Amino acid sequence: MQNSKLDNKLFIKLPEGVSVNLLPAGIAIRTCAYLYDFAIRLALMLILSLCFKFLGTAGEGLILISFFLISWGYYIIFEAKTGTTPGKKKFHLQVIQDNGLPASLSQIITRNLLRPADAFPFAYCLGIFTMAFNKHFKRIGDWASGTMVVHVKVANKEYDFTEQQAYVPQFQLSTEEQQVVIAFAERAPELSEPRQAELANILQKQLAEKDVHAAEKLKKMARFYIGQGI
Amino acid sequence: MKQSQFVKLNQSRWQNFEDLCSSDNKQALPANFGQLYRQICNDLAIARSRHYSPSLIDKLNVFVATGQKHLYQGEKASMTSLYSLFKQNFMASLYLNRYYLWIALLAFYGLALVVYLWVLISPDAVYHFLDVQSLNQIEQMYDPAGKVQQDERGADSNVLMFGVYIYNNIGIAFQMFGGGALFGFGALLPLLFNSFYFGAVSAHIVHLGYQETFFSFVITHGSFELTAIAVAGAAGCKIGFNLLNPGQYSRGFAVKQAGKAVLPLIVGAFIMLMLAAVIEAFWSPLDIPNIFKYVVGTLCWLYVIRIFYRGTRYGH
Repeated sequence: MQNSKLDNKLFIKLPEGVSVNLLPAGIAIRTCAYLYDFAIRLALMLILSLCFKFLGTAGEGLILISFFLISWGYYIIFEAKTGTTPGKKKFHLQVIQDNGLPASLSQIITRNLLRPADAFPFAYCLGIFTMAFNKHFKRIGDWASGTMVVHVKVANKEYDFTEQQAYVPQFQLSTEEQQVVIAFAERAPELSEPRQAELANILQKQLAEKDVHAAEKLKKMARFYIGQGI
Repeated sequence: MKQSQFVKLNQSRWQNFEDLCSSDNKQALPANFGQLYRQICNDLAIARSRHYSPSLIDKLNVFVATGQKHLYQGEKASMTSLYSLFKQNFMASLYLNRYYLWIALLAFYGLALVVYLWVLISPDAVYHFLDVQSLNQIEQMYDPAGKVQQDERGADSNVLMFGVYIYNNIGIAFQMFGGGALFGFGALLPLLFNSFYFGAVSAHIVHLGYQETFFSFVITHGSFELTAIAVAGAAGCKIGFNLLNPGQYSRGFAVKQAGKAVLPLIVGAFIMLMLAAVIEAFWSPLDIPNIFKYVVGTLCWLYVIRIFYRGTRYGH
């Protein structure tokens, strides 16, 4: 299960002897984050240019300086502080090093100064092209600085089994099969009842039950495997 | 051990660890944080090897991921750390990238000189490089009897020009650095374009006989500005060249190494261009006898040449 080829989870070995898994963020969600940041930058530029407009000729100079700071500095300043920008934060993304640690200042600068290459010839075409061809979804800037963008995972609540009684199955299941049963019980709250029944019906012969009852029985079995209510 | 037993046994320790790592915790981490973190790592390894449920493994995995961020967090980014990156590494990286720098400087100044001589010998050649409209503008700017030179330039238009120089010049330098990743073309083409432009314009001005106003204006900031453009070009070219020719490394690793090696150069170019923008906006247009500008300009050139000689020869 750990090394399944179904998803693009990365397992990064730590010096502590375990590996931690990370989920690189794909093109769609990063585009959303980019557009969100773009809107913020646009709004900032509009507000600043309205403010500086009243300062006459010197104001025009200040507008240009603020344009420069916003177009080049926005990402560097935000990512250097927390590893995210407002847009990335909104979509729960974070910039980290290849080894899973927070990215350093020099890496942040490199990855953001290389945006012109990714933006070539327009609308980040080359960057998207590069991202599509590697499993870490790295754009050119990420390659050159040794960073990647990952989903920030929030620890999800453990499924509470205590409502149901345990059921001791009359047949033997291997460890992997037991894990599948437990995973089913944990995922059950996300699934609709007909879907639960549909999945449980695969085992209807072994469980000697059908539809909702089969699903309930499976959850009770999960409770037994996990060691509750014995 | 069944999963629920394992959870019950360690629950309070995990809760404690989660509280320490949460963003609400403003206090310093305890001295035994490393030990706590390694225990969590151990728990994750046990949970995986005992095939506990995916959600428990996920939860411990999040603990480990946030824990390592707290334990191994790097330097806090600030302007001072950016400056120290420049101060500590700029000279050394001049030495490490000396071949790229020599080639970029030679290409920039060499080709500018070639174009300069060419336009000087046959003045019509300037139209190969610039169109009539921008030439007219430049002529008006440096005409000693013209409006631009005769009018008093106020403090507010100095600020405007400062903004223009920051936005344009530093923007170009960053574009060259970034564009370098396109196999070096994004750096090389702007480098050559700027070199031709500079050579052609200077020769054209000399041909018109406006050299006094032109050279007294550009000599001081030119030292930093022109050299910084060449430095940004060299930095971009190195990334592009390493992408083309990674040697014994993988392409990804070679580009990563190049990015690390040239970063102090681009920070150096940024600082030089900032300096040049200040000089160009507030010193160069001053209405003082030209001899002062020539003296200060020559000192600036000598300083830049000294830095680059020492950097590319000795690295300190």
